[in-house]
Amino acid sequence: MQIMEVILIIWIIAALVIIFESRVYRNIIYFGIFSLITSVCFLMLGSPDVAMAEAAIAVFATIFFIICIERYYGRKGHRAEIAPVSPRNGRWFTKIVLPLAFCAGLFALFVNFMPTGDASTYLKELYLTYFSVDVGGENAVAAILLGYRVYDTLFEALILVVAVVAVAHMSWLDRMAVDDGRHSEIENSSMAVFTMRIISPIILLFGTYLILNGHISAGGGFQGGVAIATFFICRYMIYDIYDISVKKVIKLEEYVFVFIVVIAVFAVFVGSKAFLAYTFDYFTDAFHDAYLIIMNVLIGLKVACGFFIIFYRYVAIERREDSPVEISQRHQDLGGDSNI
Amino acid sequence: MFFIALFGLITAKNAIKTIVFTLVMQTAVIMFWLFLSGRTGTIPPIIYDPALLYDMAAIADPTPQALMLTAIIIGISVTAIKITMLNYLFRRYNTADWELMHKLSAQEEAENPYS
Repeated sequence: MQIMEVILIIWIIAALVIIFESRVYRNIIYFGIFSLITSVCFLMLGSPDVAMAEAAIAVFATIFFIICIERYYGRKGHRAEIAPVSPRNGRWFTKIVLPLAFCAGLFALFVNFMPTGDASTYLKELYLTYFSVDVGGENAVAAILLGYRVYDTLFEALILVVAVVAVAHMSWLDRMAVDDGRHSEIENSSMAVFTMRIISPIILLFGTYLILNGHISAGGGFQGGVAIATFFICRYMIYDIYDISVKKVIKLEEYVFVFIVVIAVFAVFVGSKAFLAYTFDYFTDAFHDAYLIIMNVLIGLKVACGFFIIFYRYVAIERREDSPVEISQRHQDLGGDSNI
Repeated sequence: MFFIALFGLITAKNAIKTIVFTLVMQTAVIMFWLFLSGRTGTIPPIIYDPALLYDMAAIADPTPQALMLTAIIIGISVTAIKITMLNYLFRRYNTADWELMHKLSAQEEAENPYS
């Protein structure tokens, strides 16, 4: 049995464990483990970029979930642990069997109509043969992201901006972030702080390396940006302050996004081969590399700002205790004397 | 895998679990695409040497990888928005149980229908 099959079986078992675990905290931690196994699978399938992104997603999704539910379930999960899913008598048929049959039927359909032949390799050969001439660099994935499919990347960056703005403005409170440098209430374990003190500079260095070398090795703007955001989160956990103005970071992110759009459109219209042949005859390679590096740096900066804003928003606003005014407001919403 | 997650999604009673299962479904779709593109042991599409190009079958296909990278980033953005909405629901109903939430909102609507 090959090692890939073993890892796949562990992967499926991890998913089943997630489904049949009823406690919320464990669910989230299992999701982190599941994502890491997935990341190993991606690495073995020959795609280190996606593996890195998946690992970053595992970290950030876990952090977001835990910050979000901490207020409502208590720190140790003792306050309102969800009861195990035990369907009441007579309802187990509609609760369990019908969904199971539905999913099994869909699975049978999927297996029946699954494409079996080899996929076309035309596009693969085209891209792999010409990307170093057309876009430059040595990483084909980065070349496709920033060269052939740059509009995809632009809209993806746009979606991230929209998400950040939505998170910043769609919360329960209309007020903006607490910018007063207030200390947080996180109970730090000294061992974790000690470890993070050692690791966080390495994380920053690693993120910078990923961004700057994104065009010749695995990595790129997104992965590096996430690593840099992780550095800021470590900094927050160590020193217990939020002294960075969230408004300024939002402004910075918006400006960076405008720069990304301008540079990408400029490169698409100006950086065509005919133009380059006349103008940058001797500097084509340098121009290409400079374009890739600048785009990677900008995207990394933007992603770092975005995740940083989301994290601060959750920590500073969502974990804040309710003021009495809001509590009474909520009781009015629920119709006076409800004590749910 | 996708269908396991779909089963979980249908049977989940908790809102947080719903979000987790959507993430699992997304992971399953990404895994499917990468399985289409490369087999085990293919080398990553980083061409530092043009001689590598003579054995085209040994290199993983870069196109699905780039697309899946985009999909992952969009997925985490959407997840952040979902968690914000979930926070809203938490603050409003103080529970994460879909059925309880539904009951509470129906009760609220019955009490003042024009709000």
